[in-house]
Amino acid sequence: MSKPEKVKVLYIDDEPNNLVGFKATFRLDYNVLVANSAEEGFEMLEKHSDIKVILCDQRMPNKTGVQFFEEITPKYPAPVRMLLTGYTDIESVINAINKGHIYRYITKPWQETDIRSAIEEGYKYFVTTSMLNVKNEELQKAYDELDKFAYSVTHDMRGPILSSLGAIELAKGSDDIGEIKEVLGMMEKSLHRMDAFIQNMHEYYNIKRGELQIKEINLTEITEELNELFTMGAKVEQTRFSINLQQDSPFRSDELTLKIILNNLLSNAFKYQRKNNDSKFVELDVNVSAGRATVYVRDNGIGIDEAHINDIFNMFYRATSESVGSGFGLYNVKDALRKLNGTIRVSSKPNEGTEFIVEIPSK
Amino acid sequence: MNSDKMHFVVIDDSKLDCFIAEKVIQNTGRSESVRTFAAATDALEYIQTLPDDKKTVVLVDIQMPVMNGFDFLEQFEKSVPQEKRSNFIINLLSSSINETDQIRAKAYKFVNRFLNKPLTKSTLENMLATM
Repeated sequence: MSKPEKVKVLYIDDEPNNLVGFKATFRLDYNVLVANSAEEGFEMLEKHSDIKVILCDQRMPNKTGVQFFEEITPKYPAPVRMLLTGYTDIESVINAINKGHIYRYITKPWQETDIRSAIEEGYKYFVTTSMLNVKNEELQKAYDELDKFAYSVTHDMRGPILSSLGAIELAKGSDDIGEIKEVLGMMEKSLHRMDAFIQNMHEYYNIKRGELQIKEINLTEITEELNELFTMGAKVEQTRFSINLQQDSPFRSDELTLKIILNNLLSNAFKYQRKNNDSKFVELDVNVSAGRATVYVRDNGIGIDEAHINDIFNMFYRATSESVGSGFGLYNVKDALRKLNGTIRVSSKPNEGTEFIVEIPSK
Repeated sequence: MNSDKMHFVVIDDSKLDCFIAEKVIQNTGRSESVRTFAAATDALEYIQTLPDDKKTVVLVDIQMPVMNGFDFLEQFEKSVPQEKRSNFIINLLSSSINETDQIRAKAYKFVNRFLNKPLTKSTLENMLATM
């Protein structure tokens, strides 16, 4: 068991004896840094970004502790600040507390237990505050995404419905059975598109909120499943589909998340083919060795323009007018890989093809 | 009311919507020609080649990949000289319920109407009648 890391504490006092005494008393429990002037205190803060608690003497020759704290707050808002002072300075202390510059004050001469409990509580406060900040950031991100989401959902979900309504209107006014059938065929495609969108949304939710279930993955089974899933479509579209699996060590991961990644990459590879290419292919290579899976998904399809390649993983981004992407797929892939600590790289040439390389560590 | 024939250009990444628009336009009997485009860039090239003896009605979808409806308006403004712009009757088509899109559309003086999908015979005839 690794011991939790010691809390880094900075103590500033112009009395060398106090510094020595402080360090001697607390060095076993805390990671103690000392400085004998405000200037040295600044330097310490500059060097050590992980200082959690600062204790500072109020009475120092060039600067008071309150002044020191006032100055550092804008640049270093995170560390918890505590003032050491005698009763005579109480006015300035009250002022500093009210302005929010210090978390608490400790009267001098200090008692070991006072300091200890102050650091413990201060550290707890530090942890709570930083956790709150992290949560707030996450929340802000979620809100931003929700805005984007709401906007696109009205388009992507309403789109196919409105198209179908328009088509029904058209078919109602037509007596030409051939034309009506043509319209029906198009409506079908449009509804499939909406269904795919809803499935992607479900995946999105799974990745965002679902818990990972790590277990040993049977990649033979998964690649066979993928083979079954895509071979039909590959035949219809006359696309050669080959799967190659090499595995010399076990691979542990979350099966559902892994499937989302492979499914999306493959379905893109099939979707974005060049229509008049007469030797279309899609290749899936999976290599597992030394606790690491590397997945290659290659196609010789339409490729991705350099101008768009950095945006393809953005939510609702679509790089082409061809075919029917939801703008969800690669976003989900990237998000899924983030959860599995994996990475993805892409290289592509327009009209030649695309290769995605995914690396996932075994858990 | 004039009943001159006009050129129609439809820009929409949804094939079904293009198809519907084409049929609805043909059914009005006002079309000299109808062309549909999945990509706005292609449409932009095409409209520059149209003869200007007749008016051209453009119906452009707002949400499209690569070049969206607003990008199209920007490019149109840049590449079509002002004296020629009056020859085009530009209309935006949208399936979103988003008011900001409508407000944004109003900022372009040369935009004739903001139409909600689906495009029906009556919306189109109404638009042509009030041009």
